[in-house]
Amino acid sequence: MKELFAPNAKPQPKVFLTMVGAQVLLLLLLWLFYPLQLFPSLGEVLAALQDLLTTQGLLQELWASLTCALGALALATLLALLLAYLTALPFFRPLAYAASKMRYLTLTGLTFFMALLLSSGHQVKLAVLVFAATVYLVTGMTSVMLSTSQEEMDHARTLGMGEWRSFLEVVVRGKLADMLEVVRQNFAIIWTLITLVETLYQSEGGIGLLLYKQNRYLHLDGVLAIQLVILATGATQDYVFSLLRRVFFPYAQLSVAK
Amino acid sequence: MPDYSYQEPVLTLRNISMQFGGEVVLRDISLDVLNVVRPGMSQGQVVGFYGRSGIGKSVLCRIIAGLLPPSTGTVLVANPQRPVEAGDVGFVQQRYPLFNHRTLFDNLLVAATRKHAPAEAKAKAEDFLNRFDLAQHRRKYPAQLSGGQRQRAAIAQQLLCSEHLIILDEPFSGLDIAMIDEVKKIILEVTALDELNTVVIVSHDLATTTALSDTLWLLGPERDAAGQCIVGATITKNHQYNLAEMGLAWQPGIQAKPEFVQLLEHLKDEIRKS
Repeated sequence: MKELFAPNAKPQPKVFLTMVGAQVLLLLLLWLFYPLQLFPSLGEVLAALQDLLTTQGLLQELWASLTCALGALALATLLALLLAYLTALPFFRPLAYAASKMRYLTLTGLTFFMALLLSSGHQVKLAVLVFAATVYLVTGMTSVMLSTSQEEMDHARTLGMGEWRSFLEVVVRGKLADMLEVVRQNFAIIWTLITLVETLYQSEGGIGLLLYKQNRYLHLDGVLAIQLVILATGATQDYVFSLLRRVFFPYAQLSVAK
Repeated sequence: MPDYSYQEPVLTLRNISMQFGGEVVLRDISLDVLNVVRPGMSQGQVVGFYGRSGIGKSVLCRIIAGLLPPSTGTVLVANPQRPVEAGDVGFVQQRYPLFNHRTLFDNLLVAATRKHAPAEAKAKAEDFLNRFDLAQHRRKYPAQLSGGQRQRAAIAQQLLCSEHLIILDEPFSGLDIAMIDEVKKIILEVTALDELNTVVIVSHDLATTTALSDTLWLLGPERDAAGQCIVGATITKNHQYNLAEMGLAWQPGIQAKPEFVQLLEHLKDEIRKS
């Protein structure tokens, strides 16, 4: 028990899981027995969730948003990797720099331009998500690449590797695990945006539209239920990404302080 | 008549100077490392390389390793002599870098494939795993190795693809006495692998390094006639010590000899003065 409050302590997994379980239980009990006036009660949220699942197709809408988000993430990852890796050539560095700075563009202005350029609502939705995710991913990925030390590059060169081979070995292969971590961290941005974009382009539905409708009619219990579903989906995604990292890059965790 | 002779050059530095943004770091360095031959013996040699911290030792090492082109001058390696290229000289940096995303065996294999066909490279990597007592760790990643194992792996990796020359940057730093003995053994084993193998040891551990060396270099500023330091460090003729000529090379228990102790004191004074 004492070790749970000691700095840098390493409680046993069983102790730690029990502690997390107790914290969640406490939160649920507080919610159950001391409901806030404006905040829907646990029972109301569960009832709203059941209604959303049975009559409003929550799972189908979630699936539609999830597939769209995953598609956008795949495209954005490819684009961002390409932009980041191209920074090996000085000619392309301004491009990656500019892409990174485009994080500051607002969504409203962006969707307007996308709508002018593209024909269907789906394309606009996908384009906005890919664009937004790419600019964040490029920022994280170039940052990972910049963490490459002189020592690492020199090491590859002393083994007789040319400049491209050194880059491939040290930056591309050597940093893949970190790149996956960047993708995991930035996936959340797509979820933030998708709910916004789906309200702008309603023809394809999606969990964002469902959330918008609940919000519009002040169904706070429904809003909270959907938010919790998104939260659970995000947590599952995080877990899957961590699992992929452990399976494909087992070395990545070896030097991390435990 | 000495029981050794010098033959073809192994490493030659001619008029090496280095400037960074107008600041002269190294100046007019000319050195020759010749193949030393001892009758009835096949063994390489060790060069000890000293100098104060921040004087430019690492810069010179990177120049010798072909990683950094000097502002002026040339570095020649191999026989016949040719300008150095990255990959000709092995360079084991202070933190023993390895590819963290590759297993130990893969780390050695990637180095061996540079000089050998795939099947031969595999056999070479296996051979080096055994020679460096690392066979039982072949499937481990670098992060799972101890400091000593990492160092052995880094040396083995560089030896698998370099042309006889290998630079060790601070190989004794932070090691306990047992590990220092272990590293000394490895260095002597490396020199025994081939007549032309030459190990340059960059170190602040004067006693250990001098006891292993055939030659010493001391990098420091030169003084003019008025006693003022000339900008840029160099290795003057006075600071190139041929320990074989001085009768201080290749002797077990050399550290107990008064001449050796005197040399150490002299080296310390020279380093302090610089």
